[in-house]
Amino acid sequence: MRTLRVIKAEVIKTMKIWLTYPIMLLFWGIFPLMWVLPFIFQGKAFVGGLESESFKNLTGTANYLSFVLLGAIISTYIFSGLWGVGNALREETYWGTLEYMIVSPTHPLIILVGKTVVEFLYASVVVFIQSLIAVFILGLRVGINQFLPVALIVFLLLVGFYGLAIALAGFTLLIKEVHGWVRTLEWVFYLFSPIRYPVEINPITKTISLLIPLTYALVAVRAIILLNKSVLDLTKTLLLLGLMDVLFLGTGILLFTYLEKQTRKVGTIAMH
Amino acid sequence: MRRLPGYLRAIWVENIKEWKLELAYKADFARSLVDPIVYLLPHLLYGIAIVGGRSSPYLEKLSGSSDIITFVILGYIFIGFLNMALWAMGFSLRKEQYYGTLESVFAAPVPRWVFALGMAAHSTLHQSIIIVFQLIIMYIIFTFTVKASGIFPSLVLIAIMIFALYGFGMMVAALTLIFKQGWLVSEALSSIMMVITPIAYPLGVLPVFMQKASLFIPSTYGVLGVRHFLIGEKLPFSLPVMFLRLFLLCAIWITFGILTFHIFDKYTRRQGTLSTY
Repeated sequence: MRTLRVIKAEVIKTMKIWLTYPIMLLFWGIFPLMWVLPFIFQGKAFVGGLESESFKNLTGTANYLSFVLLGAIISTYIFSGLWGVGNALREETYWGTLEYMIVSPTHPLIILVGKTVVEFLYASVVVFIQSLIAVFILGLRVGINQFLPVALIVFLLLVGFYGLAIALAGFTLLIKEVHGWVRTLEWVFYLFSPIRYPVEINPITKTISLLIPLTYALVAVRAIILLNKSVLDLTKTLLLLGLMDVLFLGTGILLFTYLEKQTRKVGTIAMH
Repeated sequence: MRRLPGYLRAIWVENIKEWKLELAYKADFARSLVDPIVYLLPHLLYGIAIVGGRSSPYLEKLSGSSDIITFVILGYIFIGFLNMALWAMGFSLRKEQYYGTLESVFAAPVPRWVFALGMAAHSTLHQSIIIVFQLIIMYIIFTFTVKASGIFPSLVLIAIMIFALYGFGMMVAALTLIFKQGWLVSEALSSIMMVITPIAYPLGVLPVFMQKASLFIPSTYGVLGVRHFLIGEKLPFSLPVMFLRLFLLCAIWITFGILTFHIFDKYTRRQGTLSTY
């Protein structure tokens, strides 16, 4: 009960900070979809329409517009988690509040869970805005019955992914500036998972993509929305995502606890 | 005129200072070389996926060139120049604020344009290194050919375009004086400009209102001109018209940039918010 109160307090605090900058919510709701526009114009210039046969041979759908839109929307969770959760404790350092947080009688991991919850809520609002634009302006077709299976896949993706982000937050305690590492991880996700293009097009990207949970989630979400597959057809993918969750979350929590202890031992908590 | 040697020295010193800072973080410098390649590759692989190869008859009909790889690689160079204006120059004052040196720089006995030109010199050099690296890597991976006779006119065109972009960068730098959280201004402007500049597609596929808006952006003429000289892309206007418009944009953006900077600088001083975050 006490733990839940701490998580709630952290959620309210972070939301208050974010709502001070409402323009940011609007920005993140609109602009990630704007980054997709060049891919749409590029497609129109290269194949003369919004469908491509060779794209269908690779992905099962000729509709490349829906393919990139879904990639942009789902990856919003990943990039917001990477920067938001991974960098959350670093922000506390900037604000000068990290020391207070560490000496409070709550385990930092609980506070980090609060930060993860609020990051998820914020990303969900952004994803909701993006989905409205994608459906009503850009013509993405999604059935109401597809919502629950997609939500399940996103949930399975995020449990493991937030584990990775929590480990990253632990690294910020020890090595302070992880900006470069986050950026590099962002590259790996952007280049080697099918966010913008089908990774099957190249043997290298295809092989590396198999190690990234986002690949499985994107393939499953697209199978449900674009190929009308049922969630039962995707049992293998769901199981795999579940296994990755256990692995990533477990490793993430263990790493964070170890790194936090290590930082206290070397006495560098307050350092920048 | 008497002060010119001093100003030139100040420009050089500003350029060197930025390089020293840049090279102090070697990993970040290396990352800045790889960054554009990471964002370019998905465009190329996506293109191959939808076309089913590297040659598109639709692109040939629209632009006169069928090779999607060369088309996109040459276009993508201009993202680097846009970044130079929007991030490197536009964000320069905000960076000085982070370092805590903005007040000292502004109190130095040199006009603001000297400081801005020093920043511009550094960002142009840095961006050129990034572009050369990008072209070498892309050549190794994909191999592409361009007309050798088009290299000189392309460089002339890029030089004129860069001056126009300096004006644009000064305007963005001025905006960061007012808005403080300038990254949002740079990010929003760069997102819009990267859509309406015909980087990975010919101008003709954009909706009409975007085509009209793109004519006010110097990089539109840069990208169309360079691809025209190097791979024979069809231009929607004649060559003299293109150069004339680019010169005009140069004059307009530089005047507008200097004016905006002057007004916002004065305003910030009057409000007493130069050192606030």
